[in-house]
Amino acid sequence: MRPGIRIAIDKIFTVVAGASVVCLCLVLVAVLGPMLWRGGSAVVFKGTVEFRQMQLVLFGRGDEDKIVAESKQAQIARAKIYSTIERFKGGIDSGNLIEKARQIYRQFGNDLRQTNMSAEDVAELRSVTRQIRDRLESAFASSNTAEVNESLAYVLNFKDDPRFKNTSAAGLIGLAEQYSKDIQGINLAERQRYYQEIRQVEDILVELLGPAPGAATPALMMNRFGATRWDLAQKLLGRLLWYEEWIKQGPEQPMIRRLTPRSQRFAGTEIEGLFTYIQQNLPEMLRPRPTFYWQYFIDDSTPGHYFGGVGPEILGTLLLTVLAMLFVVPFGVISAAYLVECASDNFVMRIIRMSINTLAGVPSIIFGLFGLAFFVLFFLPIFGAPSKGCILAASMTLAVLTLPVMIRASEEAIRAVPQTYKEASLALGASRFHTFVKVTLPAALPGILTGVILSLSRVAGETAPVLFTGAVALGPVPKSIFDPTRTLSYGSYDMAVGDKLAAMVPHNQFGMVVTLVLLILCLNTVAIILRSRVFKKLAGH
Amino acid sequence: MKENMRDKTTQNEGTAQCACPIISSNDFSFYYGTTMGVKNITMNINPCSVTAIIGPSGCGKSTFLRSINRMNDLIPGVRAEGKLVVDGQDIYDKRVNLVNLRQQVGMVFQKPNPFPKSIFDNVAYGPRLQGITNRTALDEIIEQSLKASALWEEVKDNLRKSALALSGGQQQRLCIARALATKPRVLLMDEPCSALDPLATGKIEDLISQLKDNYTIVIVTHNMQQAARVSEMTAFFCLGELIEYDVTSKIFENPSNKKTEDYITGRFG
Amino acid sequence: MPAADSHRPLVLTPTEDIRGFLTLHLGRAALFLVTCTSVLAVFLIFLFVIREALPFLAKFSIKEFLTSTAWYPEAVTPKFGTLALLVGSGYVTVVSIIFAVPVGILAAVFLSDIVSMKIRNIIKPIIEILAAIPSVAYGFFAVMVLAPWMQQKFGFSTGTNALNASLVLAVMALPTIISVSEDSISAIGRELREASYGCGATRMETIFKVVIPAAHSGIIAGIVLGMMRAIGETMVVWMASGNAAQIPSPWWDLSQSVRTLTATIAGDMGETEKGSPHYRALFAAGLLLLVITLCLNMVSEYFLIRAKKAGGKH
Repeated sequence: MRPGIRIAIDKIFTVVAGASVVCLCLVLVAVLGPMLWRGGSAVVFKGTVEFRQMQLVLFGRGDEDKIVAESKQAQIARAKIYSTIERFKGGIDSGNLIEKARQIYRQFGNDLRQTNMSAEDVAELRSVTRQIRDRLESAFASSNTAEVNESLAYVLNFKDDPRFKNTSAAGLIGLAEQYSKDIQGINLAERQRYYQEIRQVEDILVELLGPAPGAATPALMMNRFGATRWDLAQKLLGRLLWYEEWIKQGPEQPMIRRLTPRSQRFAGTEIEGLFTYIQQNLPEMLRPRPTFYWQYFIDDSTPGHYFGGVGPEILGTLLLTVLAMLFVVPFGVISAAYLVECASDNFVMRIIRMSINTLAGVPSIIFGLFGLAFFVLFFLPIFGAPSKGCILAASMTLAVLTLPVMIRASEEAIRAVPQTYKEASLALGASRFHTFVKVTLPAALPGILTGVILSLSRVAGETAPVLFTGAVALGPVPKSIFDPTRTLSYGSYDMAVGDKLAAMVPHNQFGMVVTLVLLILCLNTVAIILRSRVFKKLAGH
Repeated sequence: MKENMRDKTTQNEGTAQCACPIISSNDFSFYYGTTMGVKNITMNINPCSVTAIIGPSGCGKSTFLRSINRMNDLIPGVRAEGKLVVDGQDIYDKRVNLVNLRQQVGMVFQKPNPFPKSIFDNVAYGPRLQGITNRTALDEIIEQSLKASALWEEVKDNLRKSALALSGGQQQRLCIARALATKPRVLLMDEPCSALDPLATGKIEDLISQLKDNYTIVIVTHNMQQAARVSEMTAFFCLGELIEYDVTSKIFENPSNKKTEDYITGRFG
Repeated sequence: MPAADSHRPLVLTPTEDIRGFLTLHLGRAALFLVTCTSVLAVFLIFLFVIREALPFLAKFSIKEFLTSTAWYPEAVTPKFGTLALLVGSGYVTVVSIIFAVPVGILAAVFLSDIVSMKIRNIIKPIIEILAAIPSVAYGFFAVMVLAPWMQQKFGFSTGTNALNASLVLAVMALPTIISVSEDSISAIGRELREASYGCGATRMETIFKVVIPAAHSGIIAGIVLGMMRAIGETMVVWMASGNAAQIPSPWWDLSQSVRTLTATIAGDMGETEKGSPHYRALFAAGLLLLVITLCLNMVSEYFLIRAKKAGGKH
């Protein structure tokens, strides 16, 4: 081969090798970027007045007077929506009107019995009223404008009838008058459709602005407040403004989505203008304000993580990891000390080393099975504890999992202590034990600490071992180590895959996982810094 | 001080009279596994003297030195034969109290190896091991030791400073002070100046000549001038054997062995 | 300054002797026992997994367990054939290794032979961060980011499929492969490289003809360790592989869903009754997985020891 080509190939190789590393960096960015960006929005976002109300109700946070005043102002801006819809529904919600007419008729009948009119008068008046009611009902139920107008005209004939003056039956006339006013500009033929679509609009409005004033408090906490975040409000506004349809193109073909402005669907009615009004006045109604919700990291959450934060998850994760470390550190350090200081190369030692390597290679799900079979079903009952997943069982499982990591890190740290330290101490008449405790261990401590932090970060992220041994997706904050706990890792899994409700709050999904990742990255950064300082210090000799 | 003087006289008398040596090695051999470290060493070292051990690299001089306080025990698979007597006791006897042996036979290593602690804690390490925790007593010992190792003036104001912040020469003198603080009778020095610059070396050598009034010093050195300057007796080791052991001036001026002469005159080594 | 004012006896008194002997040996024994925790842990893991699996192995045919593809544990006549799950595990592992190995070796070579110490010190933490990200976070990424993107971009019927799981597993196996390979490549001394350069070889030729052959044991060990990480991984495959117990057909179609042993154990265990055949079958699957990883572990160990010897020779 010509040298030129060889050099060119060499250059290409260099570029390709570099590209593989660049590719790694890109993967890191691709994995962490969306998580950080979207998860960050769980903490920093534009909070609406609904958010502040939620905080007040759920966690008693914030200045009550101010929030109430603010929400009153928001309600003033919202009032127009509710009154318009109410009016519009008056025209189309015939069932409600028919019921009303019947009620008035019954009331009138009762009233008549108590008057001292003759029986014939009563009977006649009753029949007239029944007729009025029937015509009214048919007007309410019909979608034919001419028919409706005719019926209404019939009813309105009795407007000045003295027999009905100051009786409850006047209500029927009132209904007719109101209805004739309401249906001006409504295409009655479309009433059914209007009826359904206005219900949709109302549903979206409940999500956007919370329950309508005067409505009963919803049972589910998640329905008690409107859009707590401006980005969510924008999304809902989109759903409000655009009507979504799925259209069949033909057999064997996927349906396609078509969006039409909802104002068009209500063309010619009073509602048509409402959408522009909402669009323009949404900030007025929700009052978004930049919010730094640091309490996300300490707050409990409502079911499905709809509101609130990841406090119990963080607590659970820390409990598990710290307990696991308490179990594993003594064993790890002592084992490492023995392996470095006392061990000779014989059969027993080889078995021990092989065990450590085997343990390091066991898949984490097997530790989950082992934890279930040994700690939960065997070990806990021995001590009379209930045989169910709990913090103790989970942390012991994690301790076994991280034992090899701990031993290797400590062994490396102890080996890195210069032999001269040991010699100096021994030459001064210290025993080997004393030398280890007073000289070797302090010198190895930063290295051991690095190992502890690395194991900590590994343990905090493990999910499979705690699946059957003590992690739950929902549940109260644990009261003792014999209770199961929520953890960040299992929570991340559950929110991504298990929990349908969580899909409605992607910021909280990402918030959970980013909390876990940040926790672990912080621990790792500390470990990396610590280690480089140790190396510098030991390299100084 | 008076006591001190008397102590010295008695010891000097001891030396003069019976020549009862503080270290006496009788046909002593030392093995690393199957390879031999030193073999059939027979020599006596008198109290309150400076003895230098010279010889080419790998001749077993460090091995012999480290045998005197059994530092070689750290290496797995070592074995000793013959007798090595310190202060009337065969130290390779099974029942030897290693802790006490090493307290009485202090050691200074090739490279300065202070602990990563403060100067005070470094020197106090030995006394604390002996159970001295009284602060005034410790202070006194540390001052004495640092003065004896000619470091006191340089560090007395910041005893709490990390020992690693000192210069190489200072660190080595600190190590000597640390060894002195356990009040040893013998001080073993394993090429104490090989990692130091000439100025620091000079200081250590001055120190050695001061210390020999009170301590028995055995020093291994590569540097023949140094051996000639500081020692009274000199032993020449070669290939694990003791070739010649005599008064320093004799070794350097009129060696009786051909090998010694070759080495001294620079023909090999 | 007085020398040796306190004469301490060089010989131990009998009590001291006995006490020293006892503390030494008792202390040693205590330390030894603590050190044996690891052995005990391995022993207990095997013991308890086997204990829970044994009734199943006694009752059902092992041959069917290993060769049938029918995994219907909750059917009226339950079927426990793990072949589809085994193939699923192997499938995603092999595909992920195919993705990871070229990138991993190139990156290892880049770090050890091409860039300066300075850049290396910047890239190493990046790899460490990749290794530190917990598997559930990778699974989350696979489900929430990668799956919708793939579905949209390539028009797959589902975003959670073998390709998705393999890609993410590859990323997870990379740090292991890179660090082990790089260690062994760096352990090959400068002399060998200089000899090759001295003969007029280019860098690429040196790396491919001298360095990598010399370091092959370590590189293989790294790959096996990466495989172990991929085959034992639970959360990612559970979340991203689609969980359909089927053997992909045609075999090269990566856009199909598969199901692995680990995901089956993780997914089914929550729904089984303790002591039921299904529960025992899951432990048997765990045992199978344990045996596979143990074998891989021995292979990696063998190559690591060879790599150490090779590194020491140069």
